[in-house]
Formats: sequence, structure tokens, C-alpha cells
Amino acid sequence: MDKENKTGKLEDEESKMWKKKLIWSWIILVPVIFFMYITKLFGFMLFDESVMSVIILVLSFPVIFIIGLQTLKSGFHGLLSLYFNMDSLISLGTVVAYLTGILSFFLSIQNYSGVSAMVMAIFVTGKYIESKARGKAGQEIRKLLEMGAKNARVLRGKEEIEILISKVRVGDIMLIKPGEKIPTDGVVIKGESSIDESMITGESFPVDKRKGDNAIGATVNQDGFLYVKALKVGSDTFLSHIIELVEETQSSKVPIQKLADKITAIFVPLVLGISVLTFIAWSFFGSFSYAFGAAISVLVISCPCALGLATPIALTVGSGMGAKKGILIRKGEAIQTMKEVRTVIFDKTGTITKGKPEVTDVKISGDTTKKEFLEIAGSLEKLSEHPLSKTVVNYSKLKNYKTVNNFRILRGKGVEGIISGKRYLIGNKSLITESGIDLKKFSKEISHFEDEGKTVVILSCETDKKAYGVFALSDSVKEDSAEALNELHKKNYCTVMITGDNERTAKAIAKVVGIKKVIANVLPEEKARKVSELQSESKDGLVAFVGDGINDAPALKQANVGIAMGTGTDIAIEAGDIILTNGSLMGVPKAIELSKATFSKIKQNLFWAFIYNTIAIPLAVAGVLNPIFAEIAMALSSITVVTNANLLRGKRI
Amino acid sequence: MKKKILVEGMHCASCATNIERSLKKVSGVSFANVSIMTKKAIVECNDKTSDEDLKKAVSKAGYKAISIE
Repeated sequence: MDKENKTGKLEDEESKMWKKKLIWSWIILVPVIFFMYITKLFGFMLFDESVMSVIILVLSFPVIFIIGLQTLKSGFHGLLSLYFNMDSLISLGTVVAYLTGILSFFLSIQNYSGVSAMVMAIFVTGKYIESKARGKAGQEIRKLLEMGAKNARVLRGKEEIEILISKVRVGDIMLIKPGEKIPTDGVVIKGESSIDESMITGESFPVDKRKGDNAIGATVNQDGFLYVKALKVGSDTFLSHIIELVEETQSSKVPIQKLADKITAIFVPLVLGISVLTFIAWSFFGSFSYAFGAAISVLVISCPCALGLATPIALTVGSGMGAKKGILIRKGEAIQTMKEVRTVIFDKTGTITKGKPEVTDVKISGDTTKKEFLEIAGSLEKLSEHPLSKTVVNYSKLKNYKTVNNFRILRGKGVEGIISGKRYLIGNKSLITESGIDLKKFSKEISHFEDEGKTVVILSCETDKKAYGVFALSDSVKEDSAEALNELHKKNYCTVMITGDNERTAKAIAKVVGIKKVIANVLPEEKARKVSELQSESKDGLVAFVGDGINDAPALKQANVGIAMGTGTDIAIEAGDIILTNGSLMGVPKAIELSKATFSKIKQNLFWAFIYNTIAIPLAVAGVLNPIFAEIAMALSSITVVTNANLLRGKRI
Repeated sequence: MKKKILVEGMHCASCATNIERSLKKVSGVSFANVSIMTKKAIVECNDKTSDEDLKKAVSKAGYKAISIE
């Protein structure tokens, strides 16, 4: 990983800067407070009042104009360039307050110069606490960034040398000892071990790895020596992709924040206007002293931060928590949509099942020998990429394949081709019956296999109009599929299974996991249309689709929320609103829970931010709040929002 | 073309809105999204938009673009 944690570095620098300012401002403030209040409290004066005013002015000066220099610069730049920000409010508030200290020598108005220093100090303190909490909100992504290995031990010739991770090239052979991190994504070429992948997939058990298996960079080798050939480096690695994805999510928008964003955009000029009006009104109907106090309070109590941070901070915490558990939320929008979802549609192969079918039974008619049967079937299927075809090829274990002419793939059905002058078909039941071949002699076996949830592949010769034999393929259900569906049923979700398989096989699998509604015989290109049909049927809610990111991309897109199952290092970044990296269906109920929890935090935050500003600003206008309390309230409001978002971590997902 | 700009000096939510507003005014920029959480601006622009223009837009709003990728 040559990616640097730049955001984290900025965050650290920022909070260090605030901390320094905080310490200095309070050191200076102690005497200011002493002169402002203590003397009054004890009823004696150390000096003459005008001398006191000068002392307070002198002490407050560095707090406003040195410690607050950056804030003033940014604030007045904002005022002049019309890019108003939070600093504009604080700058104007504190500078005006400070000036009352000078004006008080000439006019009989209240002196707010000591108050101005306190306001600045409280502002700085609030910012420090907020920046710390913001750093905490992003801690998961920081951990991800820091997770990558720093060095790698690679073989150069016969020598083992240790190099920086950024120097590793594709094709390098890396040697990994027990307890060490896998430097970058690759494939095991020698050795056996188990690897702890929990940091990436959330899967707590180490996964056994041997020659030919993939190893993911940043995961930890447990107990054996491994030689891994580097396949992906730098920004191409799985970890880099995850980080990229999470970062993008954290800056994506959730629809509910639209209003808050609109208000944030006009907030500062609006408050400036209210403050001016407050000043004018109080000057006419009250006194100048009051007018200054109220106008300053309005400036410093208003908090666009709470509003603007409400959504992104909760989204950051939520997506970070998800990433740790193998749930990658790609779009902030999905969090909001998820709470309306009532129906969850599952693809069968690779989603509910492992997606690695095996041949369990073979039945052959008397028209051919087993050798010839396997030769024809294997040679035909060799030319197809379908997972079922691959299973048949593996089973046939042919050394030499026969030449196939006029080969054709019949999508969703099977394949056909001519071998030694005879036309053969291999595929599902409908392919065979549609070409007018009688399946009567296998009908008992076929129904038996289908009842067991097995998929049947039939080889027949079209030239002879004869069925040669049947393969029964079984794709076992993932260990926790039933548990995941049970979770969903407990929460009253309607579940549907959709598959290209025939109804009997599909129903047998559905029964194992407890799904009642099955839509079978669906061609791959029809899946998206079926999803849309279910969307119009499901009147009381939206529809989520769970499937693999490659074949089911259109269906994932069509659904209101698309949940893509990642397989190993291959995360289909483009498809799906949510990606589950560890292949377990338990990720589905977890993702739903996480989305709901995050969204309710967003709502809480927005509610508080709105309520705060709608109560606080009128109070300040009314002149009932001292600017110091106004500033404390302001600081607390953004701290509350940020802290509340961090509380999301308490939720067990 | 998608570009990511790391921005220094953002410490409040209206800062993010300002940078967004300024970036959207740059010719060729069709989309801009600034996050205070990641301190990054994500900009969708055409190939005529130079990094210099983007940097200028950020500094016009009162902030500093540290890097563009």
C-alpha cells in the first residue's frame, strides 16, 4: 500500500493546532476572568475602572488577534468574498465585542471585550473537542489505511531480500512467515497455512490456504510458511479498493440531508442579516448596550456546523462500522432506501448456495458406453463458460477433447454441437424436450434428483433422437444461509428466490432455507424484469435484490437496493448499492440493521440541529442570552451531534 | 474525468458548501462534492479543466488545495 493516510494527517494536525490554541487562550483567560468577575464578586476594586478596562483589553488582544488570527482571516475573507462561513460569524462577533471595550471609553455602553476573549476561547475549545470526535468517527478508515504491510520479503534470484511494499512488482514471489502480514494480493504458489482475513471480511475463523488459493494483502498468515506470487499492487489491491469505496461513500449524500444542505448554504448570510436587524431594533427600542449584546449573541450562537455535520458524520461512523464487518455501503442513499424495503429477492446460485456444484450421480442409457458418454459431454461443455458446464468438464476428466463443429450456446438452456457427424445437445430438460426427444426412460431418475434439489444436465443425440444419459449436479447451500433467512423472516421480511433452475430443484433448495416464494426457470436476462414485476406487486414497500455482482448486475440495478455478494478478492465495484465481501448471507440482515441504525442517527442529529437553531436564535434575538452562554450553547450543539454519531458504535451489528 | 482534491483549512460544514460552490463555477466542472469528513473534494470535469483552475477555485473560497489526483 503506497497510499498515505493524508486525511488522517490533516485531522491530526488540525486537532493539534486547536489544542495549542486552547491551552494558550485559557492561560490568558484566567486573569481576564479574575479581573472581570472576581473583583466584582468580592465587592472591591483593585484598580480604577478605566485601568481595569485597559488591562482586559490588553489581555484579550492576543486571544482574539493572535490565537484567533486564522479564524479572523478566514472569516473576513469570507465576508469580503461572499463565501461566508462559520468563521465569519465568530470573527464579526468577537471583533465587534472587542471594539465595545474601546468604544466604552467614549460612549456609555457595556464593555464586552472580556466577553469577546471568552467567546473565542470557548469557540477554540469546542473546535478541539469536535475535531477529536470527528477523528474518532473516521477511525475505521484510518485503521484500514494503516493496516497494509510496510515491507515485503521477496525472492530475487535465489536471494531473499526485504523491500518496501511500494517496490513490490506484479510477479514477485513473496515469502511470508507465520504471524506476518500478506504484503499484497496474490496467489499461493507453495506452502500451506491458514490466514486470518477477519480485518477484511469480518469472518472470524482463519481460512485454510494452499497452492492455487488467493491471498489478500494485509491479512495475517497464521501458522505456516507461504510463498505468494504478487498479482496486484498499489492502488489495484483489494484493500485499496475497499478504502476508495468507503471514502467515496463517506462523501456521498443521503437524500434526507438536502434540506439541511440548502439551509447550511444560506445560513451564515441569513444569520448576519438577523444580527443586523437585532442590532437596529434594540438600538431603537432599547439601548446600545443591549443592542450590542443581543447582536453578538445572535452571531455566536448560530451553528451551521451541527446542521452540516449531522448527516456526514453519522454516515462516516456507519460505513466505517460496516467496512469492519465486511459490509461495504457504496451509496449513502441506500441507507435511506433500506428502511422502506419489505421484500428481499435472492438469486439462488452463488448467493444462497455455494455456487460450486458437484456431480453427484450419473445415469446412462444402454445406447452408449460411459467412456463415450463422458467424452461427448466433456468435449461439448469444455467450450462453455457456464459453471454447470465446468462442473461436467471437471467430472469427465478427459485427457483429449473431441473436435466439435457448429458449436452454439443456447443461453439459459445448454449447448449444442456436432461431433463425428452427429448433432448432440447437452443442457436442461426443456432444451431436450423442445427438440422432440423423449425423456421417458429417465423420468423417474430426473424427478428423484430434482426433489433432492439437484440440477439435472442431460446429454442427448439429436441425430438419433435419443437421450444418452443424465448428470445430477448438487450445489450445496451455504452454512449460514438458513440462519440469515430465518433472521429476515423473524423481522417479517417477505423473501423470494429467483433462479434459472427448474421449479422442483429450486423448491427443494428453497425449502432447506425456508423461502416460500420461488420463481424458477428465469433466463438470466429476465431477472431484472422479474424484479421490476415484484416491485409493482409489492405495494407496501421497496424491493432489495441479493445476487452476485457480475451476472446479476441488471437485476441489482433494477432493485431499490442492490446487495452484491463479493467473492474473494473480486468485488464488483460498479454493481450494487451495498457489497458483502465475505460471501455470507448473514451480511444481509446485518446490512439492513446497520442501515436502519445509521439512518435513525442521521434523523436524530438533524432533528437536534434544527431544534437547536430554531430555539437558540430567537432567544439570542430576544436578548435574554449573554454572549458567553450563547457561545457555550453553540459549541455544545456541534459536540452533541458528533458525539451522538459516535454512539452508533454501541449498536451491535 | 474524475478528480480528487485534498483540501486544507476546512473545519466547518459551511466551509464544505463554499468550496463546492466555488468549484462548480469552474468551467468544465459538472459535479462537485466536498466532504468535511474526508477533507476531499470529488470533482467531475472535462479534460479542458486544468488542475490550476481547480486549485484557484479552492483558494478563492479561502482554502488550500494540497493535492489533486
